[in-house]
Amino acid sequence: MTTDIQNSPEHAPSPRTQPGGRVLPRAISGQELVLIGVLIVLWVLLGVFTPAFLQPQSIQPLLANVAPIAMIGVGMTIIIITAGIDISVAGMVMVCAVVVAKLLAEAQMPLPVSILAGIVVGGLLGLVNGLLIAIGRVHPIIITFGTANIFLFLGLRIFDSKVVNGIPSSIAVLGRGEGGRLLGVPISFIITMIIVAIAWWYLRYTAGGRHFYALGSDSNAAALAGIRVRRRTILAYLVTGLLVGLASCIVIANGTQSLAPTVGRGIELQVIAAVVIGGTSILGGRGSVLGTVLGAILVQTVSSGVIQLGWPSQLANLFVGVAIIIAVGADLVQQRLRRKA
Amino acid sequence: MKKSRSVLMIATASITAVMLAGCSGGGGAEGGDSGGGSGGGSDEKVTVAFVPKLQGVPYFEAMNAGAQRAAEELGNIEWLYQGPTTADAAAQADVVRSFIQQQVDVLIVAPNDPDSLAPLLKEAQDAGIHVGTSDTDAPNSVREVFVNQATAEGIAKQVIDSLAKAMGEAGEYAIVSCGETAENLNSWIDAEKAYQSEAYPDMTLVEVGFSGEDPAANAQMATDFMNANPNLTGLVGQCTTSAVGVAQAVRDAGAIGKVFSVGVGTPQSMLPYLEDKSSSASILWDVEEFGYLTAWAGLQLGLGNSFEATNNVSKKLPSVEYVEADKMLILGPALEITVDNAGDFDY
Repeated sequence: MTTDIQNSPEHAPSPRTQPGGRVLPRAISGQELVLIGVLIVLWVLLGVFTPAFLQPQSIQPLLANVAPIAMIGVGMTIIIITAGIDISVAGMVMVCAVVVAKLLAEAQMPLPVSILAGIVVGGLLGLVNGLLIAIGRVHPIIITFGTANIFLFLGLRIFDSKVVNGIPSSIAVLGRGEGGRLLGVPISFIITMIIVAIAWWYLRYTAGGRHFYALGSDSNAAALAGIRVRRRTILAYLVTGLLVGLASCIVIANGTQSLAPTVGRGIELQVIAAVVIGGTSILGGRGSVLGTVLGAILVQTVSSGVIQLGWPSQLANLFVGVAIIIAVGADLVQQRLRRKA
Repeated sequence: MKKSRSVLMIATASITAVMLAGCSGGGGAEGGDSGGGSGGGSDEKVTVAFVPKLQGVPYFEAMNAGAQRAAEELGNIEWLYQGPTTADAAAQADVVRSFIQQQVDVLIVAPNDPDSLAPLLKEAQDAGIHVGTSDTDAPNSVREVFVNQATAEGIAKQVIDSLAKAMGEAGEYAIVSCGETAENLNSWIDAEKAYQSEAYPDMTLVEVGFSGEDPAANAQMATDFMNANPNLTGLVGQCTTSAVGVAQAVRDAGAIGKVFSVGVGTPQSMLPYLEDKSSSASILWDVEEFGYLTAWAGLQLGLGNSFEATNNVSKKLPSVEYVEADKMLILGPALEITVDNAGDFDY
């Protein structure tokens, strides 16, 4: 399931963009270094001022919570690099999660089959987004705003006004508990990091990956340069759909043995927050999945940290909001400086 | 430059829009099949509309099932049930307005935010509709009756008694609540604080947190509480999602037998947690009977009947108490649901 990105159908770039004297951006961007610095400072401070923030029993669930956000964030990063956005991921999570939960609890399907079904459903929904955006040529925010509501409707229909009870504990392998760890690290987080590594390599070192950036910087120029803009666009949303399908299984596992129709609510904003804080330009053309993971870890660190310090939990919203403003502000300032230069 | 700025503006505006829309989605759309409600008056059927905090959660669906049974048994009720798809005051207001426009006879609401609902209830009353609240009160409103599942004191006493029994009547505990403005949850928390300090002075409440109606967020908050307070031995899940959420956190932390949890949870969702003892008890009331009582109370309002000090509602509810001073009907004492009786309920 982690090879979807690699085995993307279109791998042969037009001859003009053969790797040669390309100039790659630095492996780690300035914003990522700043984020790493901020995280280190925060973790040290929290380690000092709380009894157990740096203990395994605190870090393990934190990473398990980061996993679905970062996993969807990989897809969202690619989309935002192409100057698009997908605000329908919450609805997609709802549909995928209820399908997986019902397959597990009511149809008694084995876990691998159910997970696969979730990924397929997610892929289909992502494909719908991609096709509408690539063919309709309407701004993605409008299209996904529409599909978001359609997916929510679909999800509520499948839920049929009932909670899914009795989800078997086999899914705990992707969960926050003891059974969901490999060498002490949450398995969901390991899977996420493998996907992040593949996406990082693909976006940075393959022609296909660089095409996403070209598309986001100037889609007309990219088309003139022979990049198949439509295919790239569809691919970005399809990959996001597939990742949402897998992430939905982690969302179920991080929850309880019951699944309520509130699942996924607000997750699109958490994902976009992680991507933006991670330094991906909301205007397209720049960004990296590494930053997105760091952004997701930062957001979860803040919300857990605030609680473990005994502060009112609303403060987490304030801090995350400020971080988003700073990140977007820094991006716009950079952009302006570059234009002047 | 110009283009990129406008794209950014569209992005910001649309994210805001999707947040708002996500809250109100489906509010009016699904009301279609209840359109015939207004004609109910002619054949002396009383149209009673109920707006839960949130549609599709087992708690309110069970209430709905009980009320539908009341409508069948009592005969002269036309029962309408429609709620928002998010536990959100604005989304709920849309549903309430649509019922006012339909000119139902009686409107009963379980408010997400009592203060913002009060003017709407006034609006309904001005339109000639009888208004009431159920599950959660709107104390500063014109409502004619509040159907209470149990008094705050009754629930708080059972929650604290069950928790105290599990944690040996001493030690630190924390409360994971859900919506910050939920009147009933907050009144239970206040009553729990008061009762615990009086009855179990050796117990200490160290944290109260709010993490919405998302079980994963509830579980994470419980985990953070356990980590922040190494001596913590008790957790209360104050609403139906956090009741399961805190139990899941205890299980995931491998703390079964060290940290004890109780919650206000529905039996079927709590059962696996009661079985492995990550939850010691769930405190609830018979939700279907509660729905029955709500529908019955709506009928009385519609017929213009007043309530007695004790009311014979049905065979199962032979003596429901009415507190004249507060205009409040009380279902009865809270139930303690344990691994032994959880299977008796089908919600």
